[in-house]
Amino acid sequence: MIQDKARIIREIEQIVGPKGVVHEEDELRVYETDGLTIFKAMPDVVVLASTAEHVAELVKLCQREKIPYVPRGAGTGLSGGALPLDGGVMIGMNRMNRILEVDYDNKRAVVEPGMVNVWLTNAVGPRGYYYAPDPASQIACSIGGNVSENSGGVRTPKYGVTTNHITGVEVILPNGELVSLGGKTLDAPGYDLLGVFVGSEGTFAIITKVIVRLMRKPEAVKTLMTVFENLEDASNTVSGVVAAGIVPVSMEMMDNNSIVAVEKGVGAGYPTDAGAVLVIEVDGPRAEVEALVDPIRDICKKNNVREVRLAKDDAERALLWKGRKAAFAAMGQISPDYYVQDAVIPRTKLPQILQQISKFSEEYGLRVANVFHAGDGNLHPLILYDSRNEGELEKADEMGSKIMKACISMGGSITGEHGVGREKREYMPLMYTDDDMEAMKKVKRVFNPDGILNPGKIFPTTTPDVKVGLAGQRPIVEKVVGQM
Amino acid sequence: MLSEESLVQRLSALVGPEHVVAGAEVSGYAVDGKTPKAAAFPGSVEETSAVMTFASAEGLKVAPWGSGTKIPFGGIPERVDLVLGLRRLGEVVDYVPEDMTATFQAGTPLKDAQAVLGQKGQWIALDPPHAERATIGGVLATNSSGPRRLRYGSSRDFLIAISVVHADGKITKGGAKVVKNVTGYDMPKLYIGSLGTLGIIVDATFRVYPVFPVEKTYLAPFPTAEAEQQVLNKLLDSTVVPNAVELLNPDAARRTTAQAGLTWQEGSYGLAVAIGSVPEAVQAQIAAVERLCREGGSSQGHILEGTVHHTFWQAVGDFSLGDGQQAVLKASVLLTQVAQAVRMGEAVAAKAGLSLGIISEAGSGIVRYYLSGDRPDRFQQGLAEAVSTLRTFAQATGGSLVVLEAPPDVKGAVDVWGSVGNTFPLMQGLKDQFDPQRILNPGRFVGGL
Repeated sequence: MIQDKARIIREIEQIVGPKGVVHEEDELRVYETDGLTIFKAMPDVVVLASTAEHVAELVKLCQREKIPYVPRGAGTGLSGGALPLDGGVMIGMNRMNRILEVDYDNKRAVVEPGMVNVWLTNAVGPRGYYYAPDPASQIACSIGGNVSENSGGVRTPKYGVTTNHITGVEVILPNGELVSLGGKTLDAPGYDLLGVFVGSEGTFAIITKVIVRLMRKPEAVKTLMTVFENLEDASNTVSGVVAAGIVPVSMEMMDNNSIVAVEKGVGAGYPTDAGAVLVIEVDGPRAEVEALVDPIRDICKKNNVREVRLAKDDAERALLWKGRKAAFAAMGQISPDYYVQDAVIPRTKLPQILQQISKFSEEYGLRVANVFHAGDGNLHPLILYDSRNEGELEKADEMGSKIMKACISMGGSITGEHGVGREKREYMPLMYTDDDMEAMKKVKRVFNPDGILNPGKIFPTTTPDVKVGLAGQRPIVEKVVGQM
Repeated sequence: MLSEESLVQRLSALVGPEHVVAGAEVSGYAVDGKTPKAAAFPGSVEETSAVMTFASAEGLKVAPWGSGTKIPFGGIPERVDLVLGLRRLGEVVDYVPEDMTATFQAGTPLKDAQAVLGQKGQWIALDPPHAERATIGGVLATNSSGPRRLRYGSSRDFLIAISVVHADGKITKGGAKVVKNVTGYDMPKLYIGSLGTLGIIVDATFRVYPVFPVEKTYLAPFPTAEAEQQVLNKLLDSTVVPNAVELLNPDAARRTTAQAGLTWQEGSYGLAVAIGSVPEAVQAQIAAVERLCREGGSSQGHILEGTVHHTFWQAVGDFSLGDGQQAVLKASVLLTQVAQAVRMGEAVAAKAGLSLGIISEAGSGIVRYYLSGDRPDRFQQGLAEAVSTLRTFAQATGGSLVVLEAPPDVKGAVDVWGSVGNTFPLMQGLKDQFDPQRILNPGRFVGGL
């Protein structure tokens, strides 16, 4: 809790004006959680910044008063990254949502951090361009959040993740200074500050501008929906495509629970009795794309495919994708609650990990819906539970940690695109030694020396959590004093 | 400070006497004329760590060394006591072709790594200059890349994990051996291009790519760089997906085509567009490129394939002006300013009386100027002017210019890196955190870090 809150609010109002400040408890509720609703923490005050100058002044105020502060974009994050764990000031970036410049000749756009991901593609689409990273939440999530989390999406097997599409950012450092990392051109001399900044989960500085690559739309796209009796055949198809030297844009898989949920939710035309649906998309020059379809069909056949449906037109293609993109939202059709994991495994380990997850599911008596980026081994097992049943959330949580551990033991990672945030910080030692993490903390110290910008994230903390009350389904709100 | 004799003794105890070079022989490991007291070649990551623990305890200034192809890069070191050679760290640590990930020790020559991957139809998507000799560690530490970055990006786009020995001997890793990972900060990127000033890269894991069934090149002659710029703009606005788009000034075009055994009209600029795909798509796209070039004022071009294709691109990668004093500058400019950057280079070289070859990764906005001169006095002054003029031009629109190679006396007279503006305190902060004693390559990085 901020000391002398009334004075601080007055000062904040002088910076952004009274309309940019939220501090009544009922209004603050909106900001107490992000896309991962099992964690909750309430800010003392939310400030809606409209300019980089606002952000700089707010940062200086927070630093001077030693008030913890955290930036927040659209609040769609799935790791509790934007939670104000220690209360304090939340700086909302949604008002800074403009596309400042589109430079087709140089293949760049300059945007504000609160700009919604899909707006850019919508804006440049008519001219034959798009912005490649497309997280499932792209109709809501902001580009600043994407940069902070290094978000992925369904195009990553071919086009990579956010970091591959950002050439510059302008940020406000905790000392209040505005600096540009990278720019429109490549290979800025010196350390790759931009590279280490992307994916720093809002713990280094606050983004006020982003320079992104614009991609030329491909000449042709082919989308195949392939239907299998079981996950193993579908997984082997993924390996087969990779082994054939084909780099598809996407290879997205859904298991039967997911298919059923999607069909109840949006009706994408997936057969509800199938064991797995694998959506494969290839794009590029027409002759190349056409030459890839038959080999992919052959690989599917070798792996006992039941049906291959090639989208006839853009409408059919959009429908196939609608199902995949709506999968998380559709889970409400088959379960009151779900807990999504984000672990990654080497692609060849897909059949093994899916068997393992199925065993855990039996062991814990909780259903799992698997919706995942098979093309890059990024799993999203959705553990289905009912928070009204005593102990189910805890079971889901425990099962989630078992899945992460299993993935690590297969040489994987605990998060592919959602970030560590608050949620997975205790699991960092599964992947990294103390020395590995110390190297990371050195970088954090350079940007955020006293740790009051977005405290309590990424690294396991030795400060015991002080649970200050029930928040939603479980006590989670905690006191974490900048531990670095 | 240790005597040379006890230094050699101590190093010999750590890596074996046969892997320590001292005395007259060590002059081959001088960096910008600064000769170390010894060079040590550890045979494992642990030995590398032991050497660094020793070096930090003794305050020895260390210069890491792969195969030496990029040693002329960077500012003049303050001091070099010890060269730490990585050539014995040459193992394939891990390679699963079906996962398309591969881990190599840092001293592995890139060429050897490519040969291993090539057996499975894969490669690390890097084609840097001197690719025949460069090591993986050196390529990463200098962020070296080549023409095909247009298609694949540079190391930062596909280096997925790294192990580093720090100044104090600690060994850490960053990233993971999976193609998608956001656990913790993206440490691999921090070490790319850091010139060994934060730590010594000991192994690296790459996301690898399939080799295309076919790659061919359309090489077109143009009367001016401006005509090429127009075609470049149209090409990048089309649905053609080139692997590389390279612009060559008349001198560079003449030399590289001669090496590939092609005829070339004197005075013509060259535009080389490489296309990789299945055969039918290569053919269709080469035809599209040819059409664009013709419409843009090019006369009949060459379609390069097979050995000629390979030889031409190798000549581009190994480009050199031959005799005399040499320097290589690399500018990064907006895609729309490539032709202007070429013109600026020509004007400044003509004024200074220097020979000039230009090879530009035009689709990425990278322009390499190869300058040479016969008269040392004029060379130094001319080069200083070139650096100043071309840097001012590049920086005016947010770009940069660095000196990749130059004789030490010339490097002493110019800022090799140029200003990094108000990001310098952050860079200095990183150096202070990672190497507080300043024993790793001191003085060679930006701002004298």
